[in-house]
Amino acid sequence: MFFSFARIIKFSLQDIFRNIWLSLVTVIILILALFTVNMLLMVKVIGDMAVEAVEEKIDVNLYLKPNAKEDEILALKAKINNLNEVKNVEYISNAQALKNFKEKHQDNPEILEALRELNINPLTPTLVIKPKNLDVFDNLVNRLNALDENIIESRNFTNYKALLEKINSITRKVTEAGIFLSAIFIMITILVIYNSVRVAIYTHRRQITIMKLVGASNWFIQMPYLISGLIYAFFGVAAIMLIFYPFLSLLQPYLEAFFVGYNVNLLDFFYGNMFTIFGMQFLAGSLINMFASLIAVGKYSRV
Amino acid sequence: MIRFHNVSKIYNKSGKALNKINLHVKPGEFVSIVGQSGTGKTTLVKTMIGEEQVDEGKIIIGGWDITDIGQREIPILRRQIGVIFQDFKLLNKKTLFENVAFAMQVCGGRPAKIKKIVPHVMKIVGLEKKISSYPQEISGGEQQRAAIARALVHRPKILLADEPTGNLDSINANEIIELLLRINKFGTTVILVTHNREVVNNLRRRVVTIDDGTIISDQAVGKYIL
Ligand SMILES: Nc1ncnc2c1ncn2[C@@H]1O[C@H](COP(=O)(O)OP(=O)(O)OP(=O)(O)O)[C@@H](O)[C@H]1O
Ligand SMILES: [Mg+2]
Repeated sequence: MFFSFARIIKFSLQDIFRNIWLSLVTVIILILALFTVNMLLMVKVIGDMAVEAVEEKIDVNLYLKPNAKEDEILALKAKINNLNEVKNVEYISNAQALKNFKEKHQDNPEILEALRELNINPLTPTLVIKPKNLDVFDNLVNRLNALDENIIESRNFTNYKALLEKINSITRKVTEAGIFLSAIFIMITILVIYNSVRVAIYTHRRQITIMKLVGASNWFIQMPYLISGLIYAFFGVAAIMLIFYPFLSLLQPYLEAFFVGYNVNLLDFFYGNMFTIFGMQFLAGSLINMFASLIAVGKYSRV
Repeated sequence: MIRFHNVSKIYNKSGKALNKINLHVKPGEFVSIVGQSGTGKTTLVKTMIGEEQVDEGKIIIGGWDITDIGQREIPILRRQIGVIFQDFKLLNKKTLFENVAFAMQVCGGRPAKIKKIVPHVMKIVGLEKKISSYPQEISGGEQQRAAIARALVHRPKILLADEPTGNLDSINANEIIELLLRINKFGTTVILVTHNREVVNNLRRRVVTIDDGTIISDQAVGKYIL
């Protein structure tokens, strides 16, 4: 059994190297297919990261009157905190707000100068409310609008929903295009593998005839071509790993420039999930290749 | 050893390649099968190794009814029957040793066993000095002897030879027949399909004559009668 297995692998390697150009084309097509699949994955990951980052920043500001009393504010804070839709409420006093403002504009002497000339604190105390999740955002806005405490000066509800929907729709469109492209490449891969195996069998038809004549079993005759599929998948995935990581490293600075202030790190993601991502691709690639080989073998190796 | 019961084979409507063949070959026999071109001799050989299925009748080999043999059992059958052909069917990119070893490798033979058996069969056919040669480097007769060596690696009980001398001159042909006789003497049943009148007449063994898919004569010590 062991010898048989070693021989089968030897035969399939021989078969790959005997038709080296065809094998190279096969692996290159496989690489293209894997590349589109990984691009697809990348777009999906960027989309998810962007949505997550935006979701993290979603909050609703309730601006209070400057003269509002501390205990009234805290009572309102507690009331809002009790709402189902609320994850947490942060109270920023006007002193704190001023401090934050100064910090933010510390490089801008004109603003700081204007502030000093005002001589009073123009900033209002604020309640910063984070919703539990995006789905309850509308409900939360309605609830906050319904509050009639007279210490509330104004309400500012930025429409994050529209932004997120835009991100989602872009991700969705790119994903659709990616799936379409991947499907085409996977189909091409199947055809190319099928053809490689067909040619390999044709090249070896004399050898196959002899094998049958001397009593080799069918699985021994067919196995090398299935193993070839496995070997193609192995080289394809190995190559895509060698190609994709440098590609991501090149891309990363642009992504960071594009998503300033957000934590979007693809390289981390692809390193952290390397075994899952490429393991799955190897598995799927092997299955697809063996499937294509199996059809070709079933059709052409009967002598 | 080999029994045909009313075996018929029809490839297509043009006619029967085999027509109600009845044949019994005893263990250790040496039988020549003769007949004109296209009369069904090769078809007869093919039905014995499961390469063609018969349409009627029954074939029993060594007590095993192979009439409706399954794909999985064919390799087992073929390891018990050695076959050689007019065109040798050697692999040109392999040495003679590799060609013979190949037959054992693809059947799962262990390297140690291969190392022992291959030189042994090469010696039987008298090619022990040529094991490193490639098929193009040796004569047709030597190539056929290599093919015979390959057919012997599984120690078959039956050796089928379909026109083994068809591509050889008479000196080489005689050597091959001598070799087949020697193998037969060891106890292997030999079926020799041939066109060669001289060979058959010199053999003084059983001769079965086929014409148009039918056995028209079967003589214990036969002559080429066509
Ligand atoms: N695969 C096939 N498909 C259709 N017809 C076939 C096939 N093989 C053989 N035949 C036909 O069957 C008949 C017997 O052929 P076979 O090869 O058995 O003859 P043969 O006696 O071996 O001839 P030869 O002496 O020329 O080798 C012929 O008429 C041939 O045309
Ligand atoms: Mg013939």
